[in-house]
Amino acid sequence: MAAWSCRFLLQRGPRLISPRAAAESPVQLVGCVRTTMPWQRHEWTEGSRRVGLVAVKLGMAPIWTKTGEKHAVTMLQVQDCHVIKCLPKEEYDGHTAALVVGGKNVSPFHRSEHYMEMFRNAGVPPKQKITTFKVSDNAIIKPGTPLYAAHFRPGQYVDVTAKSIGKGFQGVMKRWGFKGQPASHGQTKTHRRPGASGPGGDPAKVFKGKKMPGRMGNIYVTAFGLKIWRVNTKYNVLYVNGSVPGHRNCVLKIRDTVLPTRGSTLLSPPFPTYFTEDEGDLAEDLYDDDLFIHTEPSLTLT
Amino acid sequence: MAACSKRLDKFIVSLRLLRNLQLQNERFLSTSLCRWAPGNDSEPPKFIPPSKPVIIDKTQAVATLRKFLSPEFIPPRQRTNPLKFSMERKDMIRRRKILNVPEFYPGSILAVSMADPNATGKINRFVGICIQRGGKGLGATFVLRNIINQQGVEICYELYNPRIQKIEVLKLEKRLDDNLMYLRDALPEYSTVDPDMKPVPFPPTGEVPLNELKVKMRPKPWSKRWERPKFNIQGIHFDLCLVPKQMEHAQKWAQPWQEYDMLKEYDTSKLEQQILSEVQQEMSK
Repeated sequence: MAAWSCRFLLQRGPRLISPRAAAESPVQLVGCVRTTMPWQRHEWTEGSRRVGLVAVKLGMAPIWTKTGEKHAVTMLQVQDCHVIKCLPKEEYDGHTAALVVGGKNVSPFHRSEHYMEMFRNAGVPPKQKITTFKVSDNAIIKPGTPLYAAHFRPGQYVDVTAKSIGKGFQGVMKRWGFKGQPASHGQTKTHRRPGASGPGGDPAKVFKGKKMPGRMGNIYVTAFGLKIWRVNTKYNVLYVNGSVPGHRNCVLKIRDTVLPTRGSTLLSPPFPTYFTEDEGDLAEDLYDDDLFIHTEPSLTLT
Repeated sequence: MAACSKRLDKFIVSLRLLRNLQLQNERFLSTSLCRWAPGNDSEPPKFIPPSKPVIIDKTQAVATLRKFLSPEFIPPRQRTNPLKFSMERKDMIRRRKILNVPEFYPGSILAVSMADPNATGKINRFVGICIQRGGKGLGATFVLRNIINQQGVEICYELYNPRIQKIEVLKLEKRLDDNLMYLRDALPEYSTVDPDMKPVPFPPTGEVPLNELKVKMRPKPWSKRWERPKFNIQGIHFDLCLVPKQMEHAQKWAQPWQEYDMLKEYDTSKLEQQILSEVQQEMSK
């Protein structure tokens, strides 16, 4: 998409953009990376946090375990995920460093100059979504490095954050789960109303935060402790257990779980991230141990 | 006594000979029809050769001779990334290489063997008539119905469940509708299938036979108002259970404009051809 835009501008005429600007514009993914030295890669230590990914929700599918149980999984594709900026401890909040990561390339035409500036500095095409990940000092990555789905491994647990589907202005029964009133037995025009709004004369007011009708959805929601069943390294797809907030083709933020009982100390996921030159080529599909792979013979439960 | 039985034997043997002679005569009659016809002495009778035997090539897989794409391969009309469907299709093809899923339609009689930890011999075999095929992708299902010990039983099987050991088609045929849920309100004889039924051989080429059976229903009320046009059922004998006035009353729920609604059109012919060629290519590898 970004390549098309640059070619289009050059064809229209060199007077629209100067050749120097065209050469500087972040079109190629690999060729334009700065020729400075790569940053130092540290080892994993107790209590270090690594970066997450930005992915796109494809849809849901069923999977079966080796004991014959069926589970539903969501397929998330990591499309063009790059590290855009590194914010060291002093710049961010004084305690932890942060990394700004972006995912899913988008056209530069409808984005402001201010927005394009940081992508230009990183040497990366403009992204639809950028998020910050709080990261320990030994896990910082150089801006411009691509992040792949193999960053997560099967058997690991992740948290997925996304904007939930917007439902518009909704009543109190749908928004907060109130029970409403009976349908018959003399109810006059009152079937889905909130009813009472608080105690009587003593406070003589309605408390702040009272659950009332209003706009529902389109807020950031996090699903915690989702197991990764399968990782496809060819198309960069993660198969994540259960459902995930957001509609199809929405952009999500994935990071390692904060739940203490689902930590990934047993597996050794790549730290700070998965580099192709370090670990070499992985198999096209990485499966969890309990997952039934369709190339195996049918299950005989004994 | 012995003398009687000997004579009886000879009599039976002679009877048998006569029967054989009769049979031989019939065979001769079929091939040379004009032999005994009167007034045909001028010309010799025209030689009619016997019918050629049909050679069925059993070495080639039966499924490839008839172009059939299972309906769960066709993706629904959604705003989903086609990559998701292609990845699901790859998994479906991997499973189909292990388990042979034959071609079948709603109305065919199937036998499914599934691994069950609570069954004797660990394998559960169920024979029934397929009343519905639903779902797309890996979650495709089909419902089999049978009546066992005067109790109607319907089991919904998932096509890609790894516990399924074998799916056999005992009788391949189509019915007038895609959805035979009305068999729940029909007389029980239409849903009974013999559990020890022998597979009926069907030719690998040519059209799938269409059973134009019109089913007799139990008295109303039914589980659904099958006479209404939204179900569009051709396979019920409405003349026996409904009065013309009731049929007219049912037509009040007709929505004749839906046929002309262009936004509801979903032309899958090109998609089908593309997916069929892809699936056949992958299966032959």
